[in-house]
Amino acid sequence: MVHQKGKDWQDGVKSDEAEFAEEADSLWRITLGPLIWALHFVASYGTTAAWCAKVATAFEPVPGLRIGLAVLTVAALAGIVWVGWRAWRQWDFTEDWDYVNKEGENEDRHEFLGHAAFLLAIVSFVGVVYVAMPVLLIESCR
Amino acid sequence: MTSWRVTRPGIFAPCLLLLLLPACDGPQSALAPAGREAELLADLFWIMLAGAVVLWLAINGLMFYVTRINVGHMPRRLAEGIIIGGGIVFPVIVLAALLGYGLTLMPLTRVPGDGLRIRVTGEQWWWRVEYWPEGAEAPVVAANEVRLPSGRRTDIELAAHEVIHSFWIPALGGKTDMFPGRDTLMTLEPLTPGVYRGQCAEFCGESHALMAFQAVVLPEEEFADWLEAEAAPARPPSGPLEAAGQEVFLAQGCGACHTVRGTPATGAVGPDLTHVGSRLTIGAGTLPPTAEALANWIAHPGTIKPGVEMPSYDELAPDDLAALAAWLEGLE
Repeated sequence: MVHQKGKDWQDGVKSDEAEFAEEADSLWRITLGPLIWALHFVASYGTTAAWCAKVATAFEPVPGLRIGLAVLTVAALAGIVWVGWRAWRQWDFTEDWDYVNKEGENEDRHEFLGHAAFLLAIVSFVGVVYVAMPVLLIESCR
Repeated sequence: MTSWRVTRPGIFAPCLLLLLLPACDGPQSALAPAGREAELLADLFWIMLAGAVVLWLAINGLMFYVTRINVGHMPRRLAEGIIIGGGIVFPVIVLAALLGYGLTLMPLTRVPGDGLRIRVTGEQWWWRVEYWPEGAEAPVVAANEVRLPSGRRTDIELAAHEVIHSFWIPALGGKTDMFPGRDTLMTLEPLTPGVYRGQCAEFCGESHALMAFQAVVLPEEEFADWLEAEAAPARPPSGPLEAAGQEVFLAQGCGACHTVRGTPATGAVGPDLTHVGSRLTIGAGTLPPTAEALANWIAHPGTIKPGVEMPSYDELAPDDLAALAAWLEGLE
């Protein structure tokens, strides 16, 4: 992302509009972890409710449902790990050991968004694990 | 410097808690389990409590450490270790372990029953109870008391008329809600014979607090004998007073709402009274089953249980009321 010419630049400093436009992608990325968590939550509860209402009877074990949701959970966790890994790289903590990025410069802003996305990915990971535990540990629809 | 003198309320508060401990025992306590489910739930409670205490002590211990003991400059690594280890990793692991343990118990409380089925319908404010032994084509109808064989697992089918209720016998198991138009299921395996108390656990109107019942756990053979007796029609009046009481009952039209099997009374609006004299309480856990209490109830049901549908019969002559109560008390 090296733009040296054009109206985005004045006296060698990028305009705020251009900077925000560029950072929009990473603003979206910080929502990805919680978004995957939310989708996994809705899919787990929705599928279980529909399956137990339409397919299974009360005492019958539901291995198909549990295996399906286990696969979905692994996919969701893999997605969150990927989001978290990208956010970790964006935060770039181990390069400059800058924990808080408090300067408010473009680079700081960029790394702060990575930091926030990384923490949200951790929360989302724990959330997905906790949501999945009932499905994996409860044997039937009762 | 901070002083560590314990204040007087600080000493008395635990003593006051000790006074409350006897409340943990008794016929309506989840902490005095008498059934398989209740034992699981009591274990769950103690383990969850232990987990909560460990978390509370650890988090407050760390707070104490950083605000009272090690107040000076702290190396960054130690500070981050305390925050990440004590604030994230430790609670996540403890909560995951507790959640996992709690979830593994759930299938154990949902094992199918082994024969007897009981259907309980929540009414305002009493319990309609039907016993369906294995293979039965018609139920044995009773009310306001649930009797269960010990050592056997009974299916309990729950329903409600008009408003929601919740069926709960703390000494025997967890609670399950009752909904109009939808059946819910639970199973109970009582282990210790005895008399326990159940209570409606979902607000259902003005006399919700007076919607209770006795849960009587009997050894299997005694239960079979009791159910056989319960299925029989009402015993005929044992004397002239009781015979007069039955006449009052029929003449006053009580049979429009109440059934007494073996008489022309076949109403189904109120509780079945065929064996009301053998119940341990009347008015759904409200009064003792004595002639005096029965007479009081018949004359002033709305005073004893506000909002009750039964009209008061306070215009009955005292002799008629006494005869009616004597007959009902004799319906064992």
